[in-house]
Amino acid sequence: MTTLDARPTIAAEAPDNYLTFRRGLLSWLFTLDHKRIGVMYLFAALASFFVGGVMALLVRTKLLFPGEVAWMTADQYNKAFTLHGAIMVFLVIIPSIPAALGNFVLPIMLGAKDVAFPRLNLFSFYLWMLGAICAVWSLIAGGFDTGWTFYTPYSSTSQAGGVIPVLVGVFILGFSSIFTGINFVVTIHKLRPPGMTWFRMPLFLWALYATAIIQVLATPVLGITVALLVIERAFNIGIFDPSMGGDPVLFQHFFWFYSHPAVYIMILPGMGIISEIISVHSHRHIFGFRFIAFSSIAIAIFSFLVWGHHMFTSGQSPLMNVLFSAITFSVAIPSAVKVFNWLATLYKGSISLNTPMLYGLSFIFLFTIGGLTGIPLAVLSTDIHLHDTYFVVAHFHYVMMGSALIAMIGGLHHWWPKMFGVMYSEFWGKIACALVFVGFNLTFFTQFMLGSQGMPRRYYAYDGTSAGIPGYVEGMAETFRIYHHISTGGSYIMALGFVITGIYLLHSLFAGRKAPANPWGGASLEWQCTSPPPHDNFSKTPRVGDCYDFSAVHWDEKQQGYVVDADAHASSATSGKGH
Amino acid sequence: MTVLNSITSFLAQTAADPAAAASTSAPVEPTSIKSTEFWMPAGASNFAAEVDWVFHFINWINVFFFVLVVAIMCYFVWKYRQKGREVYARGPNHNLPLELGWTILPTIIVVVIFFMGFKGYVSMRTPPADAYQIDVTAQQWSWQFKYPNGATSADLYVPAGKPVKLVMRSNDVLHSLYIPDFRVKQDVVPGRYTTLWFQADAATGEETYHRLFCTEYCGKDHSRMNQRVYVLGEVQFSDWVTKQGRWLEELAVKNPGDASILWKVGGPRLYGRCASCHTIDGAPGTGPSWGNYDGSGDVWDRIQAGAVHKVDGGKPIQDFIGPGKQYETPEAYLRASILNPGEHVVSNYGNVMPTFKGQLRDAEVDVLIDMMKNLKDKDGKPNFDAKGRFIGSMGPAPAGSE
Amino acid sequence: MSNAHSADSHDAHGHDAHHGHGDHAKYPFLAHHFDTPNQQFESGKLGMWVFLATEVLFFGALFVMYAIMRFKNPEVFSYASNYLDTILGGINTCVLILSSLTMAVGVRAAQTNKKGLLVTCLALTLAGAIGFLVIKYFEYRHKFEHNLKWGIAFYQPIDAQDAETVKMAPKPVENPVLAIAAPNPSAGAKVEPIVPLPPVDRSAIALPKAGPDGVATVALVEKAQEPVHYKPQAEDHLLDPMLPPQTHRFFAIYYIMTGLHGIHVLIGVGVIAWLLVMAMRGAYSSDYFTPVDLVGLYWHVVDLVWIFLFPLFYLIH
Repeated sequence: MTTLDARPTIAAEAPDNYLTFRRGLLSWLFTLDHKRIGVMYLFAALASFFVGGVMALLVRTKLLFPGEVAWMTADQYNKAFTLHGAIMVFLVIIPSIPAALGNFVLPIMLGAKDVAFPRLNLFSFYLWMLGAICAVWSLIAGGFDTGWTFYTPYSSTSQAGGVIPVLVGVFILGFSSIFTGINFVVTIHKLRPPGMTWFRMPLFLWALYATAIIQVLATPVLGITVALLVIERAFNIGIFDPSMGGDPVLFQHFFWFYSHPAVYIMILPGMGIISEIISVHSHRHIFGFRFIAFSSIAIAIFSFLVWGHHMFTSGQSPLMNVLFSAITFSVAIPSAVKVFNWLATLYKGSISLNTPMLYGLSFIFLFTIGGLTGIPLAVLSTDIHLHDTYFVVAHFHYVMMGSALIAMIGGLHHWWPKMFGVMYSEFWGKIACALVFVGFNLTFFTQFMLGSQGMPRRYYAYDGTSAGIPGYVEGMAETFRIYHHISTGGSYIMALGFVITGIYLLHSLFAGRKAPANPWGGASLEWQCTSPPPHDNFSKTPRVGDCYDFSAVHWDEKQQGYVVDADAHASSATSGKGH
Repeated sequence: MTVLNSITSFLAQTAADPAAAASTSAPVEPTSIKSTEFWMPAGASNFAAEVDWVFHFINWINVFFFVLVVAIMCYFVWKYRQKGREVYARGPNHNLPLELGWTILPTIIVVVIFFMGFKGYVSMRTPPADAYQIDVTAQQWSWQFKYPNGATSADLYVPAGKPVKLVMRSNDVLHSLYIPDFRVKQDVVPGRYTTLWFQADAATGEETYHRLFCTEYCGKDHSRMNQRVYVLGEVQFSDWVTKQGRWLEELAVKNPGDASILWKVGGPRLYGRCASCHTIDGAPGTGPSWGNYDGSGDVWDRIQAGAVHKVDGGKPIQDFIGPGKQYETPEAYLRASILNPGEHVVSNYGNVMPTFKGQLRDAEVDVLIDMMKNLKDKDGKPNFDAKGRFIGSMGPAPAGSE
Repeated sequence: MSNAHSADSHDAHGHDAHHGHGDHAKYPFLAHHFDTPNQQFESGKLGMWVFLATEVLFFGALFVMYAIMRFKNPEVFSYASNYLDTILGGINTCVLILSSLTMAVGVRAAQTNKKGLLVTCLALTLAGAIGFLVIKYFEYRHKFEHNLKWGIAFYQPIDAQDAETVKMAPKPVENPVLAIAAPNPSAGAKVEPIVPLPPVDRSAIALPKAGPDGVATVALVEKAQEPVHYKPQAEDHLLDPMLPPQTHRFFAIYYIMTGLHGIHVLIGVGVIAWLLVMAMRGAYSSDYFTPVDLVGLYWHVVDLVWIFLFPLFYLIH
């Protein structure tokens, strides 16, 4: 029935799957199928990633030159890095794993036919589009140069015309995120099939659940924060204006009360993906299931208590600084232990180094650096020196990009055969992964040194200009130039890696080899339906087993894929071999 | 590395002026103190040693754990690689002692590190009672340091061997004062005072300096608020502070016959504060140029009775200048535009100029007004170049200039 | 072509025929991805509760801001709350509580198949919601007429005559500490100098009597030290010599919080109206009353928020 020849079209002969179920643009725009919604989110997020990436390349290219350049003014530079941050945070990283991969995978992995509220899901997607349109509108209105953090009083008094539109967009995107969170919480609580207890649920779903809790509880505060800033700008109310009795630092408290939990929205689903990838591609039961599951919830809860560690130099009282610093370590420990759990999963595994696994291993490498470099930032005396320098930039890129984004791309490669029914080129996949890995480290590791040597962030020029006199503080260019050059070179290499990834993935859609139902040998439920899945996910209620028990998984030569012996799998779960 | 160096030096040719032309009169340009280590800049305050120690301690622990994790990962990936299509791998799913161990050990380590940081931080937040206080005003996009005797300076001069406390405020948006060599940083917030303190023991003299940055994004020229920090020995410092406080008076005293010395030498020095928004030669900027930017003449000419200089959306400012009007004289209008700039805003410009009330003494405002009156000499040749340096003809050689 | 976007019913493509789910044929309102009506109902309920948690955090952030502002300027809050009409606010509170009652009765009616009662209750709830908004409109209008607004507008005279009166009032000494450093670029109008508080007449305060040891008792000392609550002395706040500085901040938070609450009431009006239309068409029964139940929950939370807002703004002086 299957051959190894490359098929010219994705699923021309395949029986009814979600891609062929109905055709036409309207059937996509008005779909209620979580899989289609996930795919639309995916391409939207990837398009935004491209735009945000171009902004980043502009910023890095400018930084090759220490002084002023004719082709980019300081104002344009400020707008570029602001747009880069806003797009990446609000349009790419926060939605991409939950809304793109999560939407597609969660119901199938859970054993359900859809999420709890499919129409709300589609509405979430429309809200995302509306938020993206607001971002475009803000560019037309003159752009905004406040930094993605919108600190007052600069953001409440900046003359840039695009500030209110982008804030409106962020508000709308917040609701997109909230509704996705509500959907996931209810789906996981109420739509589990018989036999799928909490402790049989795959860790990716635990991660999405913890993420959804944060999305639901933290995002409303972001909504209020941007609403207050819009009101401040539009009506001049004066809540952040000291001359009218307001407090600019209050904005920072409101902002970071959301934005710190937000970074866990970014990383927790990524960690969930890594749990899946590591265990499936090592064909090994995950080590320490309960710990990893509980640590996700613990991180979600503790993430609400540490927002002040972004504000150690803001004028916040020393007592608060000490408290926030101490509590921050409580969030660090569970993450560290997860890394050890993943390593222990590799132990005595049967590891196949395909592209998703390479991304998974890159994650461990990069997340270790990212997490460890958070320590000097959590420690008060060193943070005073490092805050608002490139050290912070390097740290958060290691955790947001090197970890969350890499996990997203790894997950994309892991579930790509399932989503589209095709295999991509392993050769190019490995090349691109290597380019991204090398480029990323060149770009951002140098920035640790840049920061600790004292280079502040958000600097257009580093030639020591003061009051119109370049080089007034001399030697800056000499000190910092080499790091900036290496960093920019690395960013081009990384960009090349991403471009290659985009090319071979797109190519696979048109000319990829047909994918078996289970190319990697996973034991969770999504591998027990066809690739791509049928419209209704499961024709009959799936039988739930231990999703990390690979004893019933065998290679099938005819299908060129793995097969799970469902009866043996389900019975092994009930035989008492639990977590 | 040489290839990289040649590439970097090629790329270093920027579009801006070469950095060398920073000052006209000083024969030897002071240099900033360079870093000698890989990670941290040269430490020069009482905090540096401890902060560096904690940083390196953390760094080495990080290196240890990083190498451990990556080595184990690479080893396992090699040793347990898949053989053929073998699928099911048996390995342990739990190991309670191991899990407890690798939870408790990092916890102990971070608690220790937390206390180290806490200790250092407490001393950073506790200035000694006898600290020498310097007031700092930050605004877009310049710093001003004010000393107890009223002296002001754009660069920070501190006495060596004494604790120094900076009391800081902002006139507009958030800024942050950062001196990497001293390991100190504190945000400067409008509407309140924030403080930081340090003690620098090694004097730099006036030949070398530390770098001072603004490190909280504050708008267009956030990267152009760099200043120098000079650490002077006791005698040198008190000399400097005395002279600085009376620099205008000193100029006048040393040149009794030549009143114009004040605006010829003092003007350019004060103009530095204005330069970030007002050009001298008519070039566009955030604020209207002092020179002729729209054909109506330079700043003094265009507010005279015969000219028409539009403010507040089209009204001629001349309507407000004259006997019985809001400003008796053009000088009064110029003074008001420095001390209360929102009163009348020049057409086609935004109301963004901060007030300099409290930052410029009356005598200094007078000097600036005189400079604006004398942008050209009596033959129409410019007295000041585009950077505000005096290029006209001097009277007798000025003493007491920079 | 076909409807992938059908309201309130399962996918009409005939999938239930494939799967042989009797329930889907039996219950037309059962969505295709749910197995039983109970599962659907439970899911909807949980979803609504989670959404209400987000609403609590949404308003919660504003309550925190209220607390911070009140803590910093207690005299402003105790003074300015006198400008709010407690009677109208009280009527609004009763209206909302009654509408919550009618909503709850309506839910019960839906559960027990009483269509007529359900329609009546929904209509009454809708009337209550609209009534709330009407009263709010009058409250706001009265305040706008007297320039009891946010920000700089608070200090603008109402009209030319008022401007004259305010100008005639004795000029306060310009307090350099209170002088505004840099005018806000978007303000436009000039700000009148803030009137400083008059000194408290200490001689009017009776000294506490000495106790047996010659020391006043704690209770008496505390009584003597109680803050004097300022009440507005004039209809026009600009003429009131007792006006505390920063009073505009009270109105800022007042409009933000009651405005946001009002927007939620408005949304409630829309949703309840939709429910009413559907109820009149007979869409709800003891089998399927989920939307009524969920909207009821939403309405109760809106009411609850008001029950916190009312005392915090209107009652505490």
